[in-house]
Amino acid sequence: MRGRGALLLAALLALAGCAERPPGDGPVTLVFKHARILGPADPFPGLLAEFAAAHPGVRVTSESLPWSSDEQHQFYVINLEGRSPGFDVMMLDVIWVPEFARAGWLLDLTDRVRPEELAPHFASTVAAATWAGRVWALPWNMNVGLLYYRADLLAKYGLRPPETWEELEAAVRTIRAGERDPRLEGYLWQGKQYEGMVVNVLEALWANGTRLLGADGAVFPEPARAVEALAHLRGLLATGVSPRWVTAADEELSRRAFGDGRAVFLRNWPYVLDLVEAPGSAVRGRVGLAPLPGRVRGAGAGSTGGSHLGISRGTRHPDLALALVRFLTGERAQRAMATGAALYPTRTALYRDPALVARNRWLPRIHDLMLAGRPRPVTPSYLLLSTTLQPELSAVLVGLKPPARAIADARRRLDYFLASRR
Amino acid sequence: MTRRERADRRRGLLLMAPTLATLAVLTVYPGAWVLWLSLQYRVPAFGVDRFAGASHYAFLAGDPRFWSAARTTALFTVASVGLELVLGVAVALALVGQRRGRHLAFSLLLLAWAMPAVVTARLFEWLYHPAAGLLNVLLGGLDLNWLGDPALALPAVVLADVWRTLPFVAVLAYARLLGIPTELYEAAQVDGAGRLATFTRVTLPLLRGVLLIAVLFRTLDALRAFDLMFVLTGGGPAGTTETLTVYAYRGLFQMLQLGFGSAVGVVVFALVMLVAWAYLRLLRAGEAAA
Repeated sequence: MRGRGALLLAALLALAGCAERPPGDGPVTLVFKHARILGPADPFPGLLAEFAAAHPGVRVTSESLPWSSDEQHQFYVINLEGRSPGFDVMMLDVIWVPEFARAGWLLDLTDRVRPEELAPHFASTVAAATWAGRVWALPWNMNVGLLYYRADLLAKYGLRPPETWEELEAAVRTIRAGERDPRLEGYLWQGKQYEGMVVNVLEALWANGTRLLGADGAVFPEPARAVEALAHLRGLLATGVSPRWVTAADEELSRRAFGDGRAVFLRNWPYVLDLVEAPGSAVRGRVGLAPLPGRVRGAGAGSTGGSHLGISRGTRHPDLALALVRFLTGERAQRAMATGAALYPTRTALYRDPALVARNRWLPRIHDLMLAGRPRPVTPSYLLLSTTLQPELSAVLVGLKPPARAIADARRRLDYFLASRR
Repeated sequence: MTRRERADRRRGLLLMAPTLATLAVLTVYPGAWVLWLSLQYRVPAFGVDRFAGASHYAFLAGDPRFWSAARTTALFTVASVGLELVLGVAVALALVGQRRGRHLAFSLLLLAWAMPAVVTARLFEWLYHPAAGLLNVLLGGLDLNWLGDPALALPAVVLADVWRTLPFVAVLAYARLLGIPTELYEAAQVDGAGRLATFTRVTLPLLRGVLLIAVLFRTLDALRAFDLMFVLTGGGPAGTTETLTVYAYRGLFQMLQLGFGSAVGVVVFALVMLVAWAYLRLLRAGEAAA
């Protein structure tokens, strides 16, 4: 987005929603909107050609979304608020599904998709596609937060992968004291002011046995436990277990440092595996992965993420669009994406697929982590929550605000906005 | 007024009508619409659409995040425009005094200006990298946490903005400097003026007009600054680089609170108009004095 500011954008919002495609008798065109796929080989052209071959008279156009998640959301908001969005099938970040469903932008799939069709997917990803008891999208690919560790360093000091916060901090101290390498950091994670940091905070809340959104919709239902979780994250930075620059780190910044062999532990998503195991990687064959540590043993859980495929309610070809969604979320397509684009499947069976396991020996392990993963709060107000919390949580991490005050300030602001939504 | 004059005026208005109509459609209509929106509770995704009166403005008045964004916007504007002005004039003077390589220097300057803000932001992201960044290496291996330290993040964003927009001031000042007749400098020399006196008594007064215009443009841009901080820091850490425009964006496109986001937008608009009006008065006063 250019710097012409919010005024113009607001005006565009008001003026959006004009272009209507003329009805034609010719071949049907389905427009599929998705983020660019990175990876060794883009599987899409092949998959879409396959779908077209099976459906004569149907053409599928694949259109790229902007690069960043923020811009993708903005694109959808502007285009879906107008009545004719110009696309049929869309890639959705899991956190947008309830919001878009609430807004009436998604086709309700409840009556078209049978429960046994959803059963092969991880339960948490189906939960993220369901809102108000109805199904709005099909799971497409998946992510989970996990702990990477330097297996060689842990073995050298006779340590096991840490299962608690305390064990992780002790391991960092032991290894750094033994290595005497000022360039070797301890534990890297994502603390920049953005959605990724909120994910890290959610994981700390879960690890301490609490959550962000209570069953009754209350924010920080157990403030004392939330304060502890935030104090733990701040403590990692204050005591040097994590370097101070974690407050500017996103996934890539932290991944690179770990990939260069400059840290013992890293919290990140499964995509990092392909990069650290790639030929030429400084830590190839020296990395292990484990569940995120908890405050007590077994309490840690990674946040799930990934994307779903939904259908625009403005589509003129709901049946064909659903056929495309079924095909792309099907076993065959998910296998192709796991091979060609390093996207992790939402179908549990693929994690035991011999051909896939032969390519990635970690798959069974990742399966267990995905299974134990938890979705971020499934609410249409998720982005409001996250956007409001970000500066407050960041203020705690950099030490500008005590956790209790940040929580109180965030609650006050959320009350105002949530009240205006009722 | 004669009939002839009246006819002329009518034809003039007729010829201007398309321009006025276009302006009205492109600026007045959306402007009024945003103002109207700012008085509503409007969350289309939730089917919320009711009158809010001034509640958004009342909330903003007691909203620490809003005041922090306002302070950040003001600091960013003053610091980056001030630095751009001083350094821009210095670069222009250096260019005029240069005998060789003027074209090359000029092209390099324009390169920085021609680069999209997002690209500049990515570039500086690397320069500011805490471990491998060029800046920390140049500073003798310091490990300054440029984008993650609440005291350093805003200066880091200002620095990136100065690098990007200094050429604008430099080129305008350079063009004006080329237009100053050499006789003036010869006369100053004859009168025994030193280098400093020549600069403050001859060069600066002659640059004044063009600098005021440069400052006007840069200030209006800086007040609406968005891209650099959005890409570099996302407004963090602790909201220390969140400008009013970034806050408005968050309200509009992430929180989907169209009424609230518009209220922030209206504040930015009012601020920009106020500053523009003040500058224009200053410019006019300058012309009257000259």
